Amino acid sequence: MSPKKNNEKKGRGPTVTLDFEFKKRLEKIVDGALVNYCYQCGACVGDCPSTRYVPEFNPREIMLKVLYGFAEELVGPASPVWYCTNCYNCYERCPQNVKPVEIIIAIKNLMARRGIYPEKAQVGDLVEMVLETGRTAPVTAMTKKLREELGLPPLEAVDTDELKKILE
Amino acid sequence: MTDAEPKKFAFFPGCLIPVRYPQMEAAIRKTLPKLGVEIVDLPGFTCCPDPIYFKSYDKLAWLTVAARNLAVAEEAGLNLFTICSGCTATLSETYQQLNANKNLKEEVNQRLARVGKEYRGTSTVRHVATVIRDEVGVEAVAASVVRPLEDLRVAIHYGCHLLKPSHIMKVDDPDDPHILDDLVAALGATPVRHDEWILCCGKACKHEEAPSEMMYELLKSVAAAEADVLGVVCPSCFTEFDLGQLRLARQHDDESLKTPAVYYFQLLGLAQGLTLEEVGLHRHKVKAPALEKYAAAAV
Ligand code: SF4
Ligand code: SF4
Repeated sequence: MSPKKNNEKKGRGPTVTLDFEFKKRLEKIVDGALVNYCYQCGACVGDCPSTRYVPEFNPREIMLKVLYGFAEELVGPASPVWYCTNCYNCYERCPQNVKPVEIIIAIKNLMARRGIYPEKAQVGDLVEMVLETGRTAPVTAMTKKLREELGLPPLEAVDTDELKKILE
Repeated sequence: MTDAEPKKFAFFPGCLIPVRYPQMEAAIRKTLPKLGVEIVDLPGFTCCPDPIYFKSYDKLAWLTVAARNLAVAEEAGLNLFTICSGCTATLSETYQQLNANKNLKEEVNQRLARVGKEYRGTSTVRHVATVIRDEVGVEAVAASVVRPLEDLRVAIHYGCHLLKPSHIMKVDDPDDPHILDDLVAALGATPVRHDEWILCCGKACKHEEAPSEMMYELLKSVAAAEADVLGVVCPSCFTEFDLGQLRLARQHDDESLKTPAVYYFQLLGLAQGLTLEEVGLHRHKVKAPALEKYAAAAV
C-alpha cells in the first residue's frame, strides 16, 4: 500500500487509492473474471514455492488486492507478480477454481499492454524474437554443428508471415 | 510392437530442443521407431508459443499462435506429440480452453481466418512420455531394452507442466505421479524419489535470490538421495539444472551438488543399444560417468 499522508493533519489517518476499474479491465482478459470467486481461504499459499522463498509474495494477497482495487501495488514498479514461478500448484489447490496463476498472468498482460513490464521479465525480448524468427532461441553455428554430428536434418527458417498477420 | 501397424503422430519439436539440445531430438527420433511409433514431420509450425513469457505478454495472442499450430496438425489429420513440457502446456491448454469456450474459439478463428486457417479442435496433444506409456505401454518399452541400466539410480524431476493443471494435462496424479518412475523402471534402472521432488526448477521466478535458493534446495535433496543422474523430460528444467549445478557447486564449493541431468529419452536410447555419442550425452557440460559402463557393455 502507498498511503498518502495528506489527510493525516486532519486526523483522518492515511488514505489509499482504490482503482475500481482495475478489476473490470482484468475481467476482460482470458480467465480474469475468475478472481471474483476468491473467498480468501489461503489454500493457494501453502504449496506456493515463491511464497516459501519470497515471503512478501502471496497469491491470496494478490487476489485480495485485485478485489480491493489496489492497482498501483499490482502493476507498479514493485509489483510482486514477476516472482511467480508458474508452477500451477495454486491452480490445483484452489477450491473455487480461481486459477490464481491465471490471474497473476492476466495482471502481467495488463502491464504488457501499457508497456510497463520490467526488463527482468524478459517478455519483450522473447516476443520480439518469436515474431522475427518464429522461435524463442536463435539457430547458431553450434546448432548446425550439433545437428550434423547427430545426423539430424538442418533447421529451416520458420515462415513468420502468418504469425505476423494473426497477431496484428 | 514391431509387427503391429505403427502409430502415427505429428511431431511438434518446439524451439529449445531442436535449436539448443538437438541431442534430445536425436534420442526421440532414434528410440520411437523401435517402439512402433511413426514420427511425422509437418511443415509450418512456429514456437508453441512459450507458456511463460509469451503468455505473460498477451493470453489471447498466445492462444491464437498455439491454435495456428494445432490447425497445422488438424489439416494433416494427425494427433500431435510434444517433447517439451512447455510446448505440452501451451498446446494442451489451448486445446482445452478453445474446445470449452465457443466465444474464445470464435475470437481466435477470426484472427486465423486472415491466413486461411481454422482451429477445429480435432487434434489431441500428448507429451511423448504419455504417448509411450499409453500408446506403446511400459511392457513394450521394457521389451525394447537390450542393455538394461541395472544399478543406475535415477532421481526424477517431473517438473510442473507435464502434470499441472491436472484436469487439462490428464497425465497423472500431480501429488503422487508414477509415469516417469514406471518408464525409468522399464529400463532396468531404479527410480528415486528425493525429498524435494515436487519443487519447481524456479525458472520463471524473476526474484534475485529465490530461483537460486530453490535450485540449491533441489540439488541438495537430489544429492542426498544418492542418485547417479537426474532424469528430466523438459529442456527448460534441463537448462536450469545444467547451469544451476555448475554455478551452485562453485558458489558452495560442493561438488556433490552435481548430479548430471539427462533427458529420459537419452537413457532409453542407451538402454536400446545406442552409443553415448548417438544420443549426444558426450556433449553435456556435466558429464555422467555412471553411464559409461552401460555404453561400453555389449549389446
Ligand atoms: S485458494 Fe482460491 S479461493 Fe482460496 S484464497 Fe486462493 S485464490 Fe482465493
Ligand atoms: S503458480 Fe505462482 S502463485 Fe501459484 S503456487 Fe506457483 S508460484 Fe505460487
